[in-house]
Amino acid sequence: MKINLTINNQEKVVDIDPDMPLLWLIRDVVKLKGTKFGCGMALCGACSLYVDGELVRSCSYPAKMADGKRITTIEGLSENESHLHPVQQAWLDIQVPQCGYCQPGFIMAAAKLLEQNPNPSVEDIKNGITNICRCGTHPRIIKAIIHASKIK
Amino acid sequence: MGKSNSNSKKGFSRRKFLARTGTGLVGTLALLYFGRSLIRREISGFVAEMEFATDIDNFDTNMWFEVNADNTITLKSPKVEMGQGIFTGFAMLAAEELDITLENIKVVHASSLNGIISNTGVSNSTSSLYVIIREIAATLRETLKLAASKLWGVNITTIATKDGVITSGTKSITYAELAKQTTEWIAAELPTLRPASAFKYVGKEQKRFDLLDKVLAKPIYGIDVDLPEMVYGAVLYSPYFNGKIKSIDFSKAQKSAGVLSVVEEKEWVGIVANSRYAAETALSSVKVTWDYIPNYSTNDTEKAISVGNGTEVNIQKTGDIDKIIGEEIVAEFRTPIGFHAGMEPSIVVADYKKDKLTLYASVQNLTFMQSSVSEALGIDTDKIDIIPTYLGGGFGRRAFKHNAVEAAKLSKVVGKPVQLLYTRKQEFQNGYVRPNTQHILKGKLSKNGQILSMQHDLATGPMAFMAMPAAEPLLGADFIVAGHGSRITYDVPNINTTIWQNSLPFETSMWRGVGMFANTFAIETFMDILAHKANIDPLKFRLNHCGDTAQLKRREKLLELLAEKSGWFNPKPTDIGRGIAVCDDHKTISAAVVEVKIEEGYIKVKRVVQAIDPGKVINPEGIRQQVEGATMMAISASLYEKGTIEDSQFVETNFHSYKVAKLSDTPEIEVLIYEGTDKPYGVGESPISPIAPAIANAVFDLTDIRLLSLPLQQVFEKGNAENKIDA
Ligand code: FES
Ligand code: FES
Repeated sequence: MKINLTINNQEKVVDIDPDMPLLWLIRDVVKLKGTKFGCGMALCGACSLYVDGELVRSCSYPAKMADGKRITTIEGLSENESHLHPVQQAWLDIQVPQCGYCQPGFIMAAAKLLEQNPNPSVEDIKNGITNICRCGTHPRIIKAIIHASKIK
Repeated sequence: MGKSNSNSKKGFSRRKFLARTGTGLVGTLALLYFGRSLIRREISGFVAEMEFATDIDNFDTNMWFEVNADNTITLKSPKVEMGQGIFTGFAMLAAEELDITLENIKVVHASSLNGIISNTGVSNSTSSLYVIIREIAATLRETLKLAASKLWGVNITTIATKDGVITSGTKSITYAELAKQTTEWIAAELPTLRPASAFKYVGKEQKRFDLLDKVLAKPIYGIDVDLPEMVYGAVLYSPYFNGKIKSIDFSKAQKSAGVLSVVEEKEWVGIVANSRYAAETALSSVKVTWDYIPNYSTNDTEKAISVGNGTEVNIQKTGDIDKIIGEEIVAEFRTPIGFHAGMEPSIVVADYKKDKLTLYASVQNLTFMQSSVSEALGIDTDKIDIIPTYLGGGFGRRAFKHNAVEAAKLSKVVGKPVQLLYTRKQEFQNGYVRPNTQHILKGKLSKNGQILSMQHDLATGPMAFMAMPAAEPLLGADFIVAGHGSRITYDVPNINTTIWQNSLPFETSMWRGVGMFANTFAIETFMDILAHKANIDPLKFRLNHCGDTAQLKRREKLLELLAEKSGWFNPKPTDIGRGIAVCDDHKTISAAVVEVKIEEGYIKVKRVVQAIDPGKVINPEGIRQQVEGATMMAISASLYEKGTIEDSQFVETNFHSYKVAKLSDTPEIEVLIYEGTDKPYGVGESPISPIAPAIANAVFDLTDIRLLSLPLQQVFEKGNAENKIDA
């Protein structure tokens, strides 16, 4: 099936099995590698991206549902590398990543949280993001989101 | 340096380097040929306190450094970056001797055919290379100076180096230009290293080099490797322990869309297709039945891992515990099977071309991967190049059981590069685990509350023998890795520690902290039990048992610092419980104070103050990250994580059934760093161990309920915390 989508403001047409998860379309077909695979069951958030502005766990989202929609991945979050999105800037300032593998998912979730709640409390953050990090960057993620809310 | 100078080994003083490398594990094992129980006890003590020396024996500067045309220097790291921040630490060490600014040092992974490789684990990456990297960097600097002195015909004593430029009087040349102009190199003798007092970088805060790449999500991991013509593999493994294929029908899979090939082996079936989805879809149509021994369950592992079962090795005996009269305090502890569950599943991209195999892999132990692939495919190791990528988490999981053999076979069959990724379910069911343990601790106290005798019987599965199967008959039981941390290290006159190892039908091996995690839980909870019995404050009680050795003096110092900074002796609200625990992980000491509350039946860790004495501090910020990370991973493992077995397979297959800590479990964490000696020791593992006992002790402080098994939340809920303490 031919699927039309706009990924990070670029129009794309891909011809794939419509039931393929959107994650594999993004990673293996369009070759944007920032969005990660962690669990494949919408449990960890590593594959988070936006579909028409909504936060979506793309491992469990069939590609056909994205037909005609606007996708934003981690690669499209910042304007460019010298004008980082406040969340990415905060991640640098607070030195969040360890292995870094879960971070794109957390960054996408954090940016969405701040869009909806520009001044979140620590409790809002703890309850609002359910992604998984195994390296234990949790305390810095929370700090960085608070910090990002002030950069904005 | 460039390739032109490969004959530069002439005059290179290798002996000096070699003389300094200490006894590694291999040397230790060799010693075992000479004795039995007495030697085993000595070895156990020696290993518990030794620093892990490096296994590296090639100190040729060319194998480590390259001077690039843009006057930067590349350091080819023999260790892999799995989140520990070692690349940054390595660059800091090199910069001390290279006279080049930190920004101009690039650190990359060495590959198995380009550079030096070494297993990454046991938290020794930085400590074992602390001197070596500086020595090689200094030798490189002196070699460059020798070349300049020859080029200009000046005496070497007139030559200076600074910011990547060599000068003598009015003459000057960059490292890069000199490397370009030099055709024949004379390798310098190893110069005297600069003293720590002259360090410019080591000991100062340094941001990690990999931050920007990680924040921008650059393709740096194994899963991101994408080669031209690359296709995708999917492999079916037995979900049952030691299952073999009994019957199989993959006729449907062969016809499934996008499938290029189906490969059948004894223990697995592999499919190659032009997309991952096509490969996985085809695989799900395979009908298979397995031959396996059914009905093995969690109960069976607990029975197998019980004191009195399996091979017994006594590893510590001081005084005579049997001579001590008095009331005996006894407690029994258990810890469950643990999974690593790193966020990036095992991943290999294999590219088999003619008779050369290139493997791109998220891997901790390259030599093991190289030898297993070489054996399975019959290719010489010098034809196998393993290119490590950044790792999406390690924690001990990436030392063995990679899917490299499968990927290589599939690539050979289709003649194209093949990417092979474990599913999350396979990561749980087809990897290896931290073995469950049982601990029986016994102690007797004097009237004034000093411990007169202590006995620890540890039952465990092995951790070390996946790497060294030949060592099993020598050691009897794995007291080196699984038994790590089982010795009583307090100043107690009569001690007896014994390990009972039994075999299990699934593979068990290293997990962050190895045996220290379970052993510290048991011993440090027992210390709390004894302290309460003696009616002495648990922190003071520990201080009362710090003796006179240098190591115990450091422990005493760290505990005092922790007491002061955590406000241990300050009054606290009635709804807060406070607990403490400490451990020595080789030469590193970690101690934590934890504060908990019970909220709606849940143990909530509210505050953690964790103090660490890692010896010489390289990068304080790097240490803080590791301590925080270990604290969170330990909260997760202590409160929630437990592997269970039904019908000879692991029940847990993903994060819905294996609960891990999330943001909502995050306490306030404060890290205290105390530089207790001038040599650096490991950081990544030690701080994981004091957390479980400190939480359990805090819960007791609050509720009077003794939690003697992990995971604490489950044990707390079940209420099966009823005192198994005989006193
Ligand atoms: S990979 Fe999609 S939520 Fe885990
Ligand atoms: S930084 Fe490694 S999993 Fe989060």
